[in-house]
Amino acid sequence: MNDSIVSYLSQFPAYKSFVSAMSSAMGFDAAGIATLLVFFVACFVVVNVLALVGGLGTYAERKISADIQMRQGPNRVGPYGILQFLADGVKMISKEDLMPRNADKFLYTVAPLLCLVGVLATLAVLPFSSGFTLTDLNIGVFYLLGVSSLVGVGIFLGGYSSNSKWSMLGGMRGASQIISYEVPVTLSILAIVVLGGGLSFGTLVGAQGGLPHEWFVLHNPFTFVAFIVFFIGALAESNRAPFDLPEAESELVSGYHTEYTGMRFGFFALAEYIEVFVLCGVAAALFLGGYKVPFNLGTGEFLVNTLNVGPLLASKVGNFLQLGSFVTKTLLLYYVVIWCRWTFPRLRVDHLMVICWKYLTPIALVNLVGCAVWMWAFNGQSLFKIVFGH
Amino acid sequence: MSSHSLDVYMPIVILMSFGVVMLFGALLVGKLIRPNNPNQLKQTEYECGEEPVGVAWSNFNVRFYLVALIFIIFDVEGALMFPVAAVFKKFNEIGEGGIVLITFLLFISVLLEGLVYCWKKGDLDWIRSFQGPVTGPSTDNDKDAK
Amino acid sequence: MFNEVLFLLSGLLTVFGALAVVFTKNLMHACVYLLASLFGVAGLYLTLGADFLAAAQIVVYAGGVVVLMLFAVMLTGGTVKDAGRYAMLKVPSMGNAKTFSIAALGVLVALSMTTKIILGIGRSYDASKELPAFTSTVESIGTLLVTDHVLAFEISSVLLLGALVGAVVISRPRKS
Repeated sequence: MNDSIVSYLSQFPAYKSFVSAMSSAMGFDAAGIATLLVFFVACFVVVNVLALVGGLGTYAERKISADIQMRQGPNRVGPYGILQFLADGVKMISKEDLMPRNADKFLYTVAPLLCLVGVLATLAVLPFSSGFTLTDLNIGVFYLLGVSSLVGVGIFLGGYSSNSKWSMLGGMRGASQIISYEVPVTLSILAIVVLGGGLSFGTLVGAQGGLPHEWFVLHNPFTFVAFIVFFIGALAESNRAPFDLPEAESELVSGYHTEYTGMRFGFFALAEYIEVFVLCGVAAALFLGGYKVPFNLGTGEFLVNTLNVGPLLASKVGNFLQLGSFVTKTLLLYYVVIWCRWTFPRLRVDHLMVICWKYLTPIALVNLVGCAVWMWAFNGQSLFKIVFGH
Repeated sequence: MSSHSLDVYMPIVILMSFGVVMLFGALLVGKLIRPNNPNQLKQTEYECGEEPVGVAWSNFNVRFYLVALIFIIFDVEGALMFPVAAVFKKFNEIGEGGIVLITFLLFISVLLEGLVYCWKKGDLDWIRSFQGPVTGPSTDNDKDAK
Repeated sequence: MFNEVLFLLSGLLTVFGALAVVFTKNLMHACVYLLASLFGVAGLYLTLGADFLAAAQIVVYAGGVVVLMLFAVMLTGGTVKDAGRYAMLKVPSMGNAKTFSIAALGVLVALSMTTKIILGIGRSYDASKELPAFTSTVESIGTLLVTDHVLAFEISSVLLLGALVGAVVISRPRKS
């Protein structure tokens, strides 16, 4: 239940010999230190890959928006402009670090820190594959919900500490938007938890299958609507258009990050792009079957049966296939998120709140009730299973 | 699976410390390579090219606070519902699903009543419609504008 | 080994966060230090094996109550400019009977707590016994909530309804 990448790696004899070599070198039982090293390296890899994803996300956004608007987009820096985000990063680091004279110095520094820490801490439970999940906590989904609310606090503090009218208003609106949309998101996740029977991502993804009719999104009509509610809520949680009023260029100059320059702004932006990836990943894991590969390729059984490969190697290959499946689904949803930004007009703030409290929350409650009743009435079988019998 | 070690929580601590290190590391690198010429103009807040007028926050609206209040009640209800939702499947398998369902639905119906009450009394409206002047619970600048 | 490290980190975060909350003069800073302190408490819950409780602490407190407090501080003007109005920068004058009695009560409480802690350390400490193994608490809590404590579960929903209605009625802007 409480798997982690360490328990996955400890299956392999290479890891055991590594631990025993370290123990003999250091004189005491080095299992703890080996665990720390493995976690450190894994976290380092994950953070770097996701920072890269965040950076490429800015590039992808510009290219996709250019495509939608029939223009070129960045194409100077590197082949097809792919190194544009590196150029942006260098630019941001070398900009002067201004702070408004009346700004609250401590909160001004803490705000991007809270956003970044909140987003990075959610990476610990993201189900990349059945072996590569950093740690599959028993409380996975619940923990993720909690830590991602730190971003709201960070946005509010960013707006407040800048001591500028635009920032303050943007920060207040951003914080109230994020906390409001947490309610339908929580209710949609609850609907899936009812069907999945656990809070850990391993349980929830394990309750789904590889083929689309085995995913939760097509399980029953209530989860389909729950997916849409969750997706809209996720758009609002990460301040993406059409819910980007807190950072609206045409309304509030730049909202809560008006007064932030250089790398401090860079961290707000990085946190936002990584958060979009995380929320798309959660949507993929909960609704689209997560890391499950069609035809059971992910467990390695196929390879063992057909090519007579050893089970350990087959499961490793299967894990990579699962990783590919998860990443594909997440990036597909990421594309849809970017697509939404450049298609829909921005919502007015009172419309935003009305949508959340008067539409999404009642719909999410009805979904939850429907899923619970479905679970009891049909014993948790999906619509396809009831109709087609398999 | 049960164990005595909290090693599963190690990535959380490591990732949070990465966040802190990343931020301060980038700021440190920046301090070394970025210019530092503060002047009066650069350090004033931006107000579309004009000089900033007045304090930054003079017109607080209580609706932000109301939204936060309603949110926290629903958040606690959600937190209470998570364990029940997690065990619902197990109870369903042993045949006691009906009773758990009724418990669950009772809980949700009370929550729904709260939402309906707030809706009907106009607490969920972003722009309240009043006839006549309004006195808020706190300050005096409580208009219906922003 | 990580158990001790996590306990140390969480304990330090809790204690220093709480001290910072008490000694800072800026209410907004105090809210942020409270956030840190609550995170420390969540870490302490983790060291005791209560993982669901730690997550609930983060969800409800760090995500909800701190935001509510920040909004409330903004509403009541508890920023540095208004610190003088709420007498945070002034030390109350000595010689007041009320001040003395409150201070004496506070000292008594603090003394009794420290005495209890020190005496507890002195008691026999059996290091050979192992802690019980950590299990998943989500399922146990869920099972208990629908079997033994189902009445408490339902009453809590009514309690939350009462809290919602009460808070909303108080905070509504009134028509004059």
